[in-house]
Amino acid sequence: MTQRFWKLPRYKQHLFSLLISLISMGLATGLAFMYYHVVPDNSANIALVYILALILVARYSVGYWYGVVCSVFAVICVNYLFTYPYFQINFTLTGYPITFLGMLAISLLTSTMTSHLSHQAMMIAEREKLLAEAEKEKMRANLLRAISHDLRTPLTGIIGNSSLYLENGAFLSEAEKIKIMTNIYDDSNWLLNMVENLLTVTRIKGDNLSVNTSEEPLEEVLAEALLKLQKRYPGTEVQTAIPEEFLLIPMDAILIEQVIINLLENAIVHSGTTKPIELIVTADSNAVSFTIKDYGVGIPKEHLADLFDGTSYTPSQTADARKGMGIGLSICKTILAAHHGTLIGRNHDSGAEFIFTLPRFGKS
Amino acid sequence: MTPKTNILLIEDDKSICNFITASLESANYRVTCAQTGKEGLSLATSLCPDVYLLDLGLPDIDGMDVLTKLRTWTSNPVIVISARTKEQEKVTALDAGADDYITKPFGTSELMARIRTALRHSRPNTHARIYKAGDLVIDFEKRLITLEGSEVHLTQIEYQLLTLLAENSGRVLTYSYIMNAIWGPYVDNNNQILRVNMANIRRKIEKSPAQPKYVFTEIGIGYRMLESET
Repeated sequence: MTQRFWKLPRYKQHLFSLLISLISMGLATGLAFMYYHVVPDNSANIALVYILALILVARYSVGYWYGVVCSVFAVICVNYLFTYPYFQINFTLTGYPITFLGMLAISLLTSTMTSHLSHQAMMIAEREKLLAEAEKEKMRANLLRAISHDLRTPLTGIIGNSSLYLENGAFLSEAEKIKIMTNIYDDSNWLLNMVENLLTVTRIKGDNLSVNTSEEPLEEVLAEALLKLQKRYPGTEVQTAIPEEFLLIPMDAILIEQVIINLLENAIVHSGTTKPIELIVTADSNAVSFTIKDYGVGIPKEHLADLFDGTSYTPSQTADARKGMGIGLSICKTILAAHHGTLIGRNHDSGAEFIFTLPRFGKS
Repeated sequence: MTPKTNILLIEDDKSICNFITASLESANYRVTCAQTGKEGLSLATSLCPDVYLLDLGLPDIDGMDVLTKLRTWTSNPVIVISARTKEQEKVTALDAGADDYITKPFGTSELMARIRTALRHSRPNTHARIYKAGDLVIDFEKRLITLEGSEVHLTQIEYQLLTLLAENSGRVLTYSYIMNAIWGPYVDNNNQILRVNMANIRRKIEKSPAQPKYVFTEIGIGYRMLESET
């Protein structure tokens, strides 16, 4: 509450302080009157009531001045209302200056302490914000580093191959030319894939990670994803098993399509086998779950922990192994988080499997 | 020698122009390139091309404006070239009279297929009596649909839907176009009824609904049926 208080505009803070002062003093005076009617002539306890009110004022007001004014008011009240002679200001009573000074000191001390406290609280909040920002900045830097690494690799290939062709075109055999062009073609396609992945992320809005969802038939999304995959990797075999029931799932179809393509592509590229990939969809009353299962080499143990943080480069194990899919996976994770779904990756007996779920009825 | 088909390409990027021109010319089309929308419009009136390839992102005027201006006086096919993530742009262009769209980046074979389909549908009197693709045959006159030789039973609406797609096979039809054609102009915007009917059709003619052979979904846009072989 105090943190929110410090974010209010200045005049509102003062208004609030004034209110607190008035209410505290009013309540204290009221209480004192009641007490006085029960046990008259005990000004020490009445002073205590005022001191309590003063502490409250000092705690919940800005600056010292409210406390000081209230303490003066309290001293005068005690003198005027509750000590003989009634309804007269009389500071000649023994020890009265001491009471006055005491109350003033209490209010000043409390004010100083509380304003110090709230200042500290503000500083801590500020530091936490900075830390969170630094963390975000670090993630962004990591992602950028991973992206530029992954972008530079195919670009190097494209530039190298095309300059080879331009400079030595006359001395190259037809077969060599075709090989060069195929390399360029493959690398550009890989780049395109990468850029599309990055573009999909721009569909997720802002820091609160929300997406525009609409009810989409699950089978249509799957069908389109598989069609696109077939275009990119002709001859790939994917065995599908989906529920017979017609399922409408709230989602951003473009994004979920990207998740399916990324996971299937992962299975094609990194499994090191051409055995058919299985895509199994099951539905219960709350969620649909998609399992993408390959029968290849599995996920290296050292990568299981940091699979989705976008920084793990899978080192080339075979000659034609593609660059790491770290970014693809971290994008999948982001997309599913925005859909309030989950994504896990693990090894089964003879390969790797990725399982993601989507809630059936949007945010529950 | 038969006269060559004239194609007008309105596209501002030179590199894209080059490769499209080269590949279309090798396929025996005559291609004219316009780099801006204004140039495109003036070339259109002087050349009267058979097919237009129109990039929606032009430097001077909005590609959509070019499309609307073209549609005021010509019904020759317009194929829109658009970026991937802009489904809404594609739908708007299709509903404004574009015949088809192709997503950047595309291969030449894909482009050729789109042009062939567009040309086929633009020529009158080529209305096929029979749709045939793979094992699926639709006889429009007998109202008979057979899959691998055995008859497929569809409801009235499903039959109308499938024949609408088959008559326009190879072309994408937007949700709103299909909704209008089947349920009339006063149907509400919710296209779930269409989605459900398509799912039923899929269960009757496709072996695996997740890997269809005949009717393809273009998410956010509409449906496209495999081009007829006849």
